Amino acid sequence: MFENVKMPEGMNPEVLEHLMFPKNYGKLDNANGIGLAHDEKTGEYVIFYSLREDEIIKDAKFATNGCQDTVVIGSMFSEMIIGNDTEYAQKAVQKMHEKLGELTPQQKVCADIVFTAFIASMINYENKLEGKEEEMHVLKMKESCNGEQK
Amino acid sequence: MQELYKQKHQLWLSVLFASFAINDETIKSRLYDFSTIMFRHMKWIGQDILAKGSNYNYDRDMMLYRQEKVFPILEDLQREIAQVQKLYTTEELFFRIKSDEKYLLEYIESLLNNPQNNQEITAFNMQRKWPDNELAQDQIDALTLFLFDESYKEYELILVYAYMQARTNDVVQFDVFQDLIDESYFHLKSFGNMMAKLGILALPRELHELTYVVKDFQKFIKDGIAEEEAAKEMCLELSAAIKDEELSKFFDFINNQESYHINLMQKLL
Repeated sequence: MFENVKMPEGMNPEVLEHLMFPKNYGKLDNANGIGLAHDEKTGEYVIFYSLREDEIIKDAKFATNGCQDTVVIGSMFSEMIIGNDTEYAQKAVQKMHEKLGELTPQQKVCADIVFTAFIASMINYENKLEGKEEEMHVLKMKESCNGEQK
Repeated sequence: MQELYKQKHQLWLSVLFASFAINDETIKSRLYDFSTIMFRHMKWIGQDILAKGSNYNYDRDMMLYRQEKVFPILEDLQREIAQVQKLYTTEELFFRIKSDEKYLLEYIESLLNNPQNNQEITAFNMQRKWPDNELAQDQIDALTLFLFDESYKEYELILVYAYMQARTNDVVQFDVFQDLIDESYFHLKSFGNMMAKLGILALPRELHELTYVVKDFQKFIKDGIAEEEAAKEMCLELSAAIKDEELSKFFDFINNQESYHINLMQKLL
């Protein structure tokens, strides 16, 4: 499956489809893990909602005020992980990271903010399991979408 | 009332994007005018909700159907108007709104009575050909990304400024927000029609409340100024990259408008 994942290195029909109709975009009302990756410098954020049953990610959604690269990557990534277990999702993050060489520095940052929000949603789920009261787990980004170092 | 607000928000988008999708200039122009009326309805319903001590959000639950002819788009609008009218009460505001919608329905009916109006819709064909001039593929790609980024951004700005305008008692702020809404509306119209020309018309994605519920006004305005600067930069880059005199002039024109938005926003600090 991973072999067929095409990253947005050019404007192919798959990318165009994700641009026109982002998959799994919006709020997930019954999410049990909510993660926010936030870039304080630019104000950009990705919020990631996941619904887990034990180790299986039954559903996921995301929303962002970021650029179209963030939307395309969020759309592709959420499609990859739904219905799979958390171990698969971690591999998906790793696998997509391996492909980042094909991306511009800005697109790499866009990918990172999506993955960071997903990881934050997993942390939120675990925290709630441990009895912590946490509406969402927030992780701050170290790099901004414009590719500059903070 | 939130359900009514949501449906009115969706109806506004449906009418606006129908105006982008339809090629006939007369129908396009009339529907665009109606969309501005629908936007005012949405604003008034929002004010009414706030006056009654309640609140509204920008949640949506809609798709932009990829129709291939004009009539299915018009028939979708008829159905959507009929649906939202079920939610109106007997208040004066809704008498006015229903009167506007009745007139729109009559206009739609008149269009449906003439089979010549059932022209082909090319706004969703994903052909990505610029009809006015032959552009190289990299220029088309750059234009495509720009239009997706900026159409979302203009939609976002319209709604964020409208949200803040509805909650201010400061006359200067109200006035500046209105100017910014009007300008963003014009930009959205321009970009929406360009997307339709390229065959890539799509709804801007839904706004999350993290985007429009502003907790730190000063920071929001400063971030907004930085965004306007970035938008200016994108316009300049695009203007330089696209070898089409008319498009370059257009992006220079938009760029100068973005510059003045920065001045407008600085009045808010």
